This record gives sequence, C-alpha cells and structure tokens, in this order.
Amino acid sequence: MFFQFRTAWGRAILGVLLCVAAFAAYALTFPELTGRVVDDAGVLDPSTKAALERKLAEFETKTTGQLVVVTLKSLQGTSIEDYGYQLGRHWQIGQKEKNTGALLIVAPNERKVRIEVGYGFEGTLTDAVSRLIIENSIIPRFRANDFAGGVGRGVDDIIQAVSVDSEEWKARAKQRPDDQPGLVDVLALVFFLFIVFMIVRSVAGQGRGYAQTGAGSRRGARGPIFIPIPGSWGSSGSSWSGGGGFSGGGGSFGGGGASGSW
Amino acid sequence: MSYTLIPRRTRILLTTMLAGLLLSGCGVNNIPTYDESAKARWSDVQNQYQRRADLIPNLVETVKGYAAQEREVLTQVTEARAKASQIKVDASTVTDPAKFKEYQDAQSALTGALGRLLVTVERYPDLKSNQNFLALQSQLEGTENRISVARRDYIESVRAYNTELKTFPGLIWASTLYRSYKPMETFTVAEDLAKPPTVKF
Repeated sequence: MFFQFRTAWGRAILGVLLCVAAFAAYALTFPELTGRVVDDAGVLDPSTKAALERKLAEFETKTTGQLVVVTLKSLQGTSIEDYGYQLGRHWQIGQKEKNTGALLIVAPNERKVRIEVGYGFEGTLTDAVSRLIIENSIIPRFRANDFAGGVGRGVDDIIQAVSVDSEEWKARAKQRPDDQPGLVDVLALVFFLFIVFMIVRSVAGQGRGYAQTGAGSRRGARGPIFIPIPGSWGSSGSSWSGGGGFSGGGGSFGGGGASGSW
Repeated sequence: MSYTLIPRRTRILLTTMLAGLLLSGCGVNNIPTYDESAKARWSDVQNQYQRRADLIPNLVETVKGYAAQEREVLTQVTEARAKASQIKVDASTVTDPAKFKEYQDAQSALTGALGRLLVTVERYPDLKSNQNFLALQSQLEGTENRISVARRDYIESVRAYNTELKTFPGLIWASTLYRSYKPMETFTVAEDLAKPPTVKF
C-alpha cells in the first residue's frame, strides 16, 4: 500500500514538473552573468571588454555600487523597458537594501539602448540625465556603428553622473550591515537543531525497543520527519557564492532610467 | 514495550513542539505575510502615480509657453490631474471595489489626457527641442515606466494573496484565524497599452 502511494506521488510530481517546464518555455530567458561586461550579441572586441571590466570593477571597489554592461542578441519580443528591469532583478545587480545598481543594455538587432537605474541611483542618475547620456554620448556613436566608443563613453558618463555622491556612499558602506547571518539567525538555528535532536533522541529511544518487538508499522508513521526550513536563510546565501567571480549583490530595480533607439 | 523509556509528559511536550514546527511550515503565516506585501506594493503604485501628478504642473506651464492656443488640451490635463488627486486612497482602498475602480478610472483618464497633450506637442518643433521640455518629457516617460512596473508588482502580489485565501491550506486559516481578511482588487484596465505616445526624435 505504501509502495502504491509512492508511485502515485511520483507521477503527480512528474506531472507538475512537466507543467512547470512548459510554462518556463514562455518566460523570458536571461543571459548568464559571466562578468561585468556580458557581450551576448558579440559587438565588443576583447580589448574593449577588458578595459570596461577594469573601469567597472574599480567603480565597485570605490563606491560598492554595481554597473554592468550587457549586449543582447534579442529582446524576445518585449520592449527594452520590460526586459531591462526584469534582467536587473534576475541578476540582482546592486547592493541589497541600497539597490545601487545600473545596467547599460544594448540590443543591436532591435537597435535599442537603455540605461536601467536601480532605486539607489535614481537620485543622481535621474531619468533626464540618463536620457541625455543616451542622446548625446551613445546614440551618435551607435549610428556610426561605433559600439565600443558608444558603450565606453556611456559608461564614463554614467560613472561621472553617479560619482557625485561617492564620498557619501563610502561612509555609508562602512555602516552597511554585515552580509553574514546575524546573531539572531545563529541562535534560531541552534535552538531549532536542539529541538530536532531531542525529537530524534526520543524516536531513536523507542526504535531500539521496536527492533526487539518488531512493531514496524508504528515506525513508518513516525518515519521521515518533514522539517520546514525557514525561508529567510536562503537570502544570506547569495553573498557567499562567487568565490572570486562577479555576482549580483541582491539589489532590485523599479523601472527607472531612460531608453533610446537609433 | 519501551514506552516507559520516555515519560508520557515529555512525549506530549515533544509532540507538541513538533506539531508547532510543522504548522509553521504549513502556511499559517502566509495570509498576513502576503497581505503586508500586497499593501507595500500598493503604496509603491500610489507613490508612482503621485510622482506623475507632481510633474504635471511644470509640464503644463512649459507647453503653455509655446502653445498657449492649445487651451483645450491643457485644461483637460489640469482637470484630469485635479480629479485624480481628489480621490483619497490608502491601504483600505485595495479591499474596496468601488473606491478602487474610481481611482483606477481617474488615473486612466489622466493617462489619456497626457497622451493627447503629447500628440499635440508634435506640432510645435520649437517646443519639442526645448531643453526644459525634453527633461520633463524623459521624467514623464520614466515615471510611466515606473508606474507600469509598480502595477505589475502589485498585481502579482495580489494574485498570491487572493490565491492563498482560496486554496488549501490557506482556506482553512482564512475561515478560522483570518476571517477579517478580504480578497484584494486588482487592475483591470491594461494601462500598459494605454501608455501615452512618446515623442520621436
């Protein structure tokens, strides 16, 4: 009976997974965050990419803000505004809580460019400033097919616009709460494990008795204890990954910035 | 039998603690959590609509400087803005269908009026190239985009909340612990499609 139950469950789970997979096919796909310059459309040469990487890494070191340049092969049928903020949220560019992230998105096939600004930068990198950068620095160069120049100049302008308050950020960065799990989290974990330990001990204590008496069905009912893991612990994991590579800091986006086309 | 290994009272205590842990994983907290989340998203939406309303007086003045004769369109925008600002909205609006519809309709009317204004501006090249106007126009576009994103976030959070109220196990908690929690309203007008036309350069 137990075996039949398991098979039915297995089939149900498989069915759900297939449905999820089918839905996933309709959702937008995002390129992998391989670094601070993601050239999916292949319009930037390696030396440009290296120079940009250096500039953007330096910016992050100085201000803890995150800037990323991405070129896309396709917008997959949506507008660049629609794609932009979802990409920013997917990669989680910018520091958590402060949301100090910005993306320079270029879609050469649709001839669209966008500066997607995270909540934290909206004070200095305003919509109007983004628009000016796009119209004056980026689009004229794109029209002349100079992607490297346009992107390079755009990044310089963005850094300039955003660096107005860099001293302030440095001070704030020092006060930034630690990304490590707080003391409360650790205590909660210890308490939780203690309870689990006590339960397991009581079950194990009876188990020894069962083995002697052979009351197997009783054991089955108490068998695998489903332990729910509190969701908040998942969020502290993002800052531990990376190990030398570049990863998003947990920031979010609200749709600020400006777009242009050429 | 080895029941005497663990005294009865301890067993009851441990079973209760286990039940408590399982319950906390069973979604008894979901309804208030989703409720708070949806209310936060709602205040985001309100903020963005307010931001748009704040841009409008400046916009109207700038356009008047070049196209004073377009009095009708300018008045329409000003009136639509006034009407939208008069509606008092707060966290309770999300569960009040009539109030919500009123607010949604007023904002849609304002979007329409703004759209007509921007179409009118097309006829005035001096205005279109005015720096002040360009800055305002990019701010307006940015705000419209933010409104769009905020609406989408709100719709999604309301969906999660309403679904939790209707499905198992939320259904149980809703009818016992959370009887005062009502389903929330969501946006019906596809404002994304009613976006004001942008001025092309």
